[in-house]
Amino acid sequence: MERQAAYVCLSLVIEKDEKMDEYVIEMKDIVKNFGTIQAVKNGQFTLKKGEIHSLIGENGAGKSTMMKLLYGMYPIDDGEIFVAGKKVEHLTPKSAISLGIGMVHQEFMLVNELRVVENIILGFEPTKGLTIDFDTARKNIRRYIEQYHLDVQMEKRVSQISVGEAQRVEIIKTLMHGAEIIILDEPTAVLTPQETKGLFRILHNLKEDGKSIVFISHKLNEVMEISDRISVMRQGNYMGTVDRDETSPVDLTKRMIGREVFLNVNRTETTPGEKILDVQDIWVSSHKETSKIRGLSLSVHAGEILGVAGIDGNGQSELVDAITGLRPVEKGKVILNGVDVTNKSPKKIRKAGLAHIPEDRNKRGLNRAMSISDNLSVVGIDENPYSSHMLLNRSAQHENAMEKIKEFDIRPADYTLPASSMSGGNAQKVVVAREVSLGKKLLIASQPTRGVDVGAIETIRNTIDKAKKQGAGVLLVSAELEEIMSLSDRIIVIHDGAITGELTAAEANETTMGLLMMGNAEEAKKEEGEAV
Amino acid sequence: MSKTLESARKVLLTILLALAIGAVFIIAFGENPFSAYIALVQGAFKGKLHLGTTLSTFTPLLLTSVAFCVAAEAGAFNVGVEGEVFLGGIVAAYLGVNWGFLPVPALMIVCFLGAMLVSAAWAFIPAVLRAYFNVSEVCTTILMNSVALQITSYLVSGPMSAGTANAQSKPVLVTLPQLMKPSNLNAGIFIAIIVVVLVIFMLYKTTLGFKIRAVGKNPSHADYVGISSKRIFITSMMISGMMGGIAGCIQVLGAYGYFLNNFAAGLGSNGMLAALIVRSNVLATPFMAFFLAILNSGAMGMQQATGVPKALVDTITAVFIIIATMDTLFEFKKNSTKKKAKKEVTEG
Repeated sequence: MERQAAYVCLSLVIEKDEKMDEYVIEMKDIVKNFGTIQAVKNGQFTLKKGEIHSLIGENGAGKSTMMKLLYGMYPIDDGEIFVAGKKVEHLTPKSAISLGIGMVHQEFMLVNELRVVENIILGFEPTKGLTIDFDTARKNIRRYIEQYHLDVQMEKRVSQISVGEAQRVEIIKTLMHGAEIIILDEPTAVLTPQETKGLFRILHNLKEDGKSIVFISHKLNEVMEISDRISVMRQGNYMGTVDRDETSPVDLTKRMIGREVFLNVNRTETTPGEKILDVQDIWVSSHKETSKIRGLSLSVHAGEILGVAGIDGNGQSELVDAITGLRPVEKGKVILNGVDVTNKSPKKIRKAGLAHIPEDRNKRGLNRAMSISDNLSVVGIDENPYSSHMLLNRSAQHENAMEKIKEFDIRPADYTLPASSMSGGNAQKVVVAREVSLGKKLLIASQPTRGVDVGAIETIRNTIDKAKKQGAGVLLVSAELEEIMSLSDRIIVIHDGAITGELTAAEANETTMGLLMMGNAEEAKKEEGEAV
Repeated sequence: MSKTLESARKVLLTILLALAIGAVFIIAFGENPFSAYIALVQGAFKGKLHLGTTLSTFTPLLLTSVAFCVAAEAGAFNVGVEGEVFLGGIVAAYLGVNWGFLPVPALMIVCFLGAMLVSAAWAFIPAVLRAYFNVSEVCTTILMNSVALQITSYLVSGPMSAGTANAQSKPVLVTLPQLMKPSNLNAGIFIAIIVVVLVIFMLYKTTLGFKIRAVGKNPSHADYVGISSKRIFITSMMISGMMGGIAGCIQVLGAYGYFLNNFAAGLGSNGMLAALIVRSNVLATPFMAFFLAILNSGAMGMQQATGVPKALVDTITAVFIIIATMDTLFEFKKNSTKKKAKKEVTEG
């Protein structure tokens, strides 16, 4: 008997040992098509227990799709998925959750009007008789807060908390549902550098507790900091997995896009000329809030790039809309090229010397149903050479299209195709090509490289720098600190509709800017003092 | 090109399916569907009278269906074409009866211009309400159709009445040349075709057409590049209204020679249906309008030759719309062949 017991014990130990080596997730030869688009052609992914595994790739490489397939949001077209060694079929989010898989989406799935505690227990409410047992709920949540430092304010409404906190709420939610495997889809895209550091600490705590984490990103420095292993995807194909210690950002970039890129443009030093844009104490309402911007002033000179840094939603969009005539200015003045363009029509403002790369290329920047050629010539369509005597001049449109497609390497090169057939990067190149080639005095570039692949980022940034060299004044609005710092001559940071600081390119560093972005002007000064 | 073929195939399948469902009803009436459909075709084409009637039914339908498309190109759902036909008709009748001091050719032109002007002004109202006050143009145009009908009905029963038992106006002093007598067909069909060709040319070859299409596809993009989506929206609604006015004028000066109360009932809605079946594709819409005209004028022949009531055609048209709006109906076949192909590849 004893012997048998020992034997059983031994076999258990062996089994356990084997399990240690086994993967908690294994995805083999995954294929997924959306209509005629092959989102994933050859997807491979493995996840070990207790590791942080990054999945990287350019936009449209298929990394998010892979994880959405794992979470059961779409059915796979081909391939196999194993969870804890067992093959699973017909995954749905519900069955994925019951298998211990949790996902924090790029867009948070929270109810803004409900309190944090209600959001967390939504759908899984502990009950006491006919009422919800909030005490038990709070006790359970507090356990997670303490164990992993997931600080959240349970009684606040979601609409009142920051993005970083909302993200922590999402993480607690997945843990409450019993997640052992947590997928985070580009979690740092919406965070300040400080918040990102906080998130990384949480991820380490989770990892130490034995949770397995999938981290989707395209920011190489973060990936290098947090990961144990890194898998790369390119155009729907698996490009290999490497240990963090055996790779470098350069190596990863090569795998991601097949060649080396130098994202840091060599900023051209120019001497600023006359004042091109003068924004004087403007007040602007947003869609929801009245007076989102309260008394903001700035100026842009010829031959300089003024970077506007800030966390998304702090009034940047409203500022750009107000300058470009797409949103009414309540008070104050906008002077462009010496002309008062306050509350003028977009057409008149463009005439006065504006070129504008909008933040939302699908809603504003492009007409996705019209051809690439039409999109490249839509600005000034009623003027020579695109129109004469009220008739369209197709050949002029096509000539222009061919020229731009060649100059900016836009793909597909068939300009008769609708703009919707282009990838994010190429679509953005169309917008940039159209606006920059207008040769206007003022270029407003709002989030010019958002959702764009690395190759296109390089082109777009160089184009913006070139516009400056040729004497345009550039107002660059971006949530990417690195973009702001590498391109701008001067930087202003905006928080809650007001400017919290102005820096020169030389003074700027991530810490100071991060603090200013959160509205902490005083601490930022202190930090600066210490740095000096 | 293959896309055009694909949609043509789809429309053809839709027609067949609608006819098949119609056949089920015909069988329910105890008739042979083949002989009923043959009677329908004969009723639409056989002889001068029948062919002429089909073409004269087609004339206003061609204009109203393309009128709907023009508004749809700018993103409007203009249900109001019918009201615009009524108003165009009454203006043409008023001018045609009372402005006899003008020489005949001038009077003809004045009738058309007056009809276009008033109908465009009528369409301007819902367009402005939509563009500047965000009032749904669907609601306003539906309501304004009743208003237009009542206005014209009042005028031809009262101030403009010819004093006959039927509510109608006095005969107009200028008429369009009649063709293929004894049908109602008149030279208006050429005017309609010319107008539609011009409108299609406008949509695809002119700067205004480009702007209309740009606004329809993405108004916020249009505003951003400096094309005022509001103004273009209003312009396209007014062009749509003008076409309705022309249709009304042709009916009064050509088909009837006077304003007959309630003459445009169904013209606007049938035109709208023709456009909707082909998803407001302005190149395909004329063909669909012609097809509906065949159904409508052939229905009488079918009713006379067989026991199938005329109303069946309305059923077929309705079934048509339902099938045509089912986007994915003919997709299943494609999917299954694709799967098969893939299986072969993987097995191979």
